[in-house]
Amino acid sequence: MTTASDVIASGPAPILLGRTPDRRGSWLPTGGMITTRFMELRKRRGLMMALIVVTIGIPTLFLTVRLLAHAFAPKSYGPAGGEDIFNALVAGVLYVFGFIVAATLGCTAGSVDLTEGMFRHLVVTGRSRLALYLARIPAGLAIVVPLVAIGFTIVCAVCVFAAPTQINYQGVNLPAGLSEAGLQHWAADHANEVVCNFPYQGSGSNNIDNVISNAPCNGPGGGPGIVRNGPPTDSTTPTPAMIRAAAVQIAARDYSGYSNIFLSPSVGLMVRTGLWIELEVIVGFIVGLGLGSLLGQRTVAVILMIVLEIVLTPILSRANIPHMINLQRSVVGLAVAHLEPAGLGFVFGGGGGPDGGRGTSLLVPESRAAAGLVIAAWLVGWTALGAWRMVKRDA
Amino acid sequence: MSLTLSTVSEGRQDSEGQWAVETHGLTKRFGENIAMNGVELLVPRGCAFGYLGPNGAGKTTLIRVLLGLTHADAGTMRLLGHSVPRHRAAALARVGAIVDEPRFHGHLTGRQNLQILAAAREPEAKQRIGPSLERVGILHRADDRVSKYSMGMRQRLGVAACLIGDPQLLILDEPMNGLDPAGMQDMRDMILSLVAEGRTVVLSSHLLDEVERTCDAVAIVDRGKVIRQGAITELLAGSSFVVEVECTEPSRAGELIRGAAFGEDIEIGPLGMGVTLPAGTGRAIIAEINRVLVAGGISVYRLQEVQTSLESWFLQVTSRLGEPE
Repeated sequence: MTTASDVIASGPAPILLGRTPDRRGSWLPTGGMITTRFMELRKRRGLMMALIVVTIGIPTLFLTVRLLAHAFAPKSYGPAGGEDIFNALVAGVLYVFGFIVAATLGCTAGSVDLTEGMFRHLVVTGRSRLALYLARIPAGLAIVVPLVAIGFTIVCAVCVFAAPTQINYQGVNLPAGLSEAGLQHWAADHANEVVCNFPYQGSGSNNIDNVISNAPCNGPGGGPGIVRNGPPTDSTTPTPAMIRAAAVQIAARDYSGYSNIFLSPSVGLMVRTGLWIELEVIVGFIVGLGLGSLLGQRTVAVILMIVLEIVLTPILSRANIPHMINLQRSVVGLAVAHLEPAGLGFVFGGGGGPDGGRGTSLLVPESRAAAGLVIAAWLVGWTALGAWRMVKRDA
Repeated sequence: MSLTLSTVSEGRQDSEGQWAVETHGLTKRFGENIAMNGVELLVPRGCAFGYLGPNGAGKTTLIRVLLGLTHADAGTMRLLGHSVPRHRAAALARVGAIVDEPRFHGHLTGRQNLQILAAAREPEAKQRIGPSLERVGILHRADDRVSKYSMGMRQRLGVAACLIGDPQLLILDEPMNGLDPAGMQDMRDMILSLVAEGRTVVLSSHLLDEVERTCDAVAIVDRGKVIRQGAITELLAGSSFVVEVECTEPSRAGELIRGAAFGEDIEIGPLGMGVTLPAGTGRAIIAEINRVLVAGGISVYRLQEVQTSLESWFLQVTSRLGEPE
């Protein structure tokens, strides 16, 4: 066996070296602690594979299938991208799965030192236990945040570059992004389609009512979107000029509805959505880390996090439980859902954010300020709980 | 080393800084069970110190308390002159320890595990990883995953984890576990070399033979109390010893020795007898035994003084004190 003196005499790096003063009692983790913790998590092949499959693999596979289907049978299968696909993938997949994978990573980071026997070695170094805990936060986020960002970027790229060339409004294919005048001009050129299909809430104008009642549409009494205000007052067949005039007026009235439909998500929407998804991921990781540290084991913590996201949060976000409304508002998933960007729909089956979005929001009402406070409380509270348990735990 | 209980007491008065470990009235309870009951322990610097006791005596609990892995219910302690837990960080900066079976992240290599531990220590610790691995003899397996290590290799990795902190004090809990005879020899040599460098090694082990061959001083713990401590040679000098006699007519020889009132205890065998003599008996008694036997017509073929081993002394001490109080 090589002795210390041998090593000192021959080795380039002697075992007895001078010491640089270190602040190991400080609660702040060092860069080295964070990078080695990052390495420890990154080297977990099974976990990393699962994270990559869920955050990148599932959206990529889904979009690849759509791309191929559209390439080989464009009449049967629509374009792979578009705003609807963006909505479905972001609100339906990345939002929920991003939370779950982040929580899984957090639970792992919070418990493995204990279960694998390294916690004792780390405590014996004299390093502050709080610093040991806090080092896990940037290390874990440095893994899961980029992974979700990559998955989200792929979704954005496909949804933008493989978006349909025309939008479908009330069954009519028409160009996207027209100005109000442009839409009216297009309506004049496609007067029959507009009159027969665009929704029209009667305005009392007998001319328009007569046109849409007697327009040469396939169905009896005009197109499916037409709502009559009363029986036709005149059964005279409208002239093409009358139909064009009516189409222009209908288009002017429908412009606000038309202008909310896009071929692909806007840059602003994508940026806001990306930040929102990352917020959900950060919440999942921090809460999972705290819970994992508190329980001291991974499996139960992961199960609890999945139950929270898949079962409890949807129920508590939508059900109107008497006398429990404030408790429901304290659920972090509901709070994050209320910060959803406007124009993005379908989280937990509800509509978009409070400023708009498609459909009617089914979420328990909560102000954005309250939602922000709830999220901050969860982040701080679970970090405090996890750190407290780590500091007080027998190693 | 010539440490005695008296010098221990004097040293305590002279300078508190000379002790690597110093505890006073250390108590730890687990519910109704008292794991440590007012432990008074003084471990001098620069020696190999054995910490012995039967199962459940509180050996590992003391180590865990010293290292801040769990808290004490009462008492005071100092590590390398630093009061613990008040100056725990400063104290543990120069301490390396293995507690129970050394376990690591199995999916990482030995080197990567040490990198994690080095990052929690001072910046120079990272440079000590290679030399530490080399010193414990696993440098060639440093880049293999720990899940592929044998128990003995993990034990060596545990020692390497201690060495990256350039410790003044090493606390090793059963370091021989899982080692083959060659590995035990290596570990013994390494402990001795560490002591030769001026470090203090506290060794908790149930392998009394190993402790006797490795350590300069020991403490015996029983029922959560330190019941004996001091240099091994002086502790054993205060114990009884046996004179083995190979002779004819063992029964009659035994009667002659009993009649002369030499020994406390005489054990008769087919080829002779063993006479247990009280502590402090001079060697002249051996010649006297021979003279009595020869005078009685007994042919004596062999007389041999057998010094009490640490193991037999340990069993004497702990069995005597292990009886209900």
